[in-house]
Amino acid sequence: MSGDTLEVLIVEDEILLATELQFIVREVGLHDVGLAMSRDEAIELAKRLTPDLALVDVHLQDGPTGVEAARMIHEDCGGVVLFMTANVQRLPEDLAGACGVIGKPYSEEAVCRALAYLRVCMQEGRAPGPPPVGLTLSPEYVAHWGADLPMSA
Amino acid sequence: MSEIEHADAPAAEGTYARELEQALAQKTALLHEVDHRVKNNLQLIASLLQLQSRKIADEATRQTVRGILERVNAIGAVHRRLFQGGDVQRFDVSEFVRDLAGDLAAGARREDIQLKLDLEPAALPASQAAPLALVVNELIANALKHAFPGQPGLVSIIIARTPEGFDLTVQDDGVGMPPDGGRGFGLTIVQLLCQQLKAKLRIEDAAPGVRAVVSQPLERIV
Repeated sequence: MSGDTLEVLIVEDEILLATELQFIVREVGLHDVGLAMSRDEAIELAKRLTPDLALVDVHLQDGPTGVEAARMIHEDCGGVVLFMTANVQRLPEDLAGACGVIGKPYSEEAVCRALAYLRVCMQEGRAPGPPPVGLTLSPEYVAHWGADLPMSA
Repeated sequence: MSEIEHADAPAAEGTYARELEQALAQKTALLHEVDHRVKNNLQLIASLLQLQSRKIADEATRQTVRGILERVNAIGAVHRRLFQGGDVQRFDVSEFVRDLAGDLAAGARREDIQLKLDLEPAALPASQAAPLALVVNELIANALKHAFPGQPGLVSIIIARTPEGFDLTVQDDGVGMPPDGGRGFGLTIVQLLCQQLKAKLRIEDAAPGVRAVVSQPLERIV
């Protein structure tokens, strides 16, 4: 982590969506460090930049390779992955190690809320309460961050 | 001869069942593909409007584009929820309202406006989901934008089941209706869509504030 912000890698093959996501990331005070549009680009950038958080679409320029990219980013680069996809039902049960998923089509507000929430989770190591509407956490991360516990004082 | 006939019948049946299974699998895959494309294209439209609105200097024009974006987001929220449960024919109105109200309240950037939800479970046929979503969007957005100029307030959203279907109420305790009774584009949309939904619309003085009630009848679900 650089200072008190999070470094964010965007993995999305629709450039207009990616550009808008960059605006949102900066608006909530996070630092966008790069954009990848395919599995190989994602892995290469993740290795080089070691982002704290990667926003990953399932369908990339080289096919439905986002799941594989997510697993590599999580396991090899130590980054937290958040899926952003219209294919929520087709994700593997363990979410390929990702912390959670936002379903498309999402609103700017839902993404802002989710990023602000994840920032607290990652910086404090525990959730400030249950996840906001629009964000579904994986069971592993619910336990890891105590997101099923009542609001902390 | 008769022996061969006996042997063939179960085999033919097995082939038929396999063909049916394959056809069903293909149809399901196709539905997923179309669903995926609809969602992605709605996201693309929303992102285009967002990017455009960031570039507009004139505040009134920007608000107009933001208004269109909100409507697209409301339709997007419908599609995010369609096909999610096991039942593709029915649409969970209460869960949708919870989802959309949260988004609109956050988007209004008004910490001084409280939102109160009291939602009994209610469902609609999926084909009526988008028009109802647009009605709900206009009513909530209208309250958030116009009811509380420079003052705090409360917006209540209530879904209550009735013998005919359900009543959806959006009520604020703000400044009340403008003297002309409100003739904006938003209200026009609400009136037209209620006509399409065969819903009764009642907008009344809540003293203080405005109460809008949409009485949605439910046809027997076939």
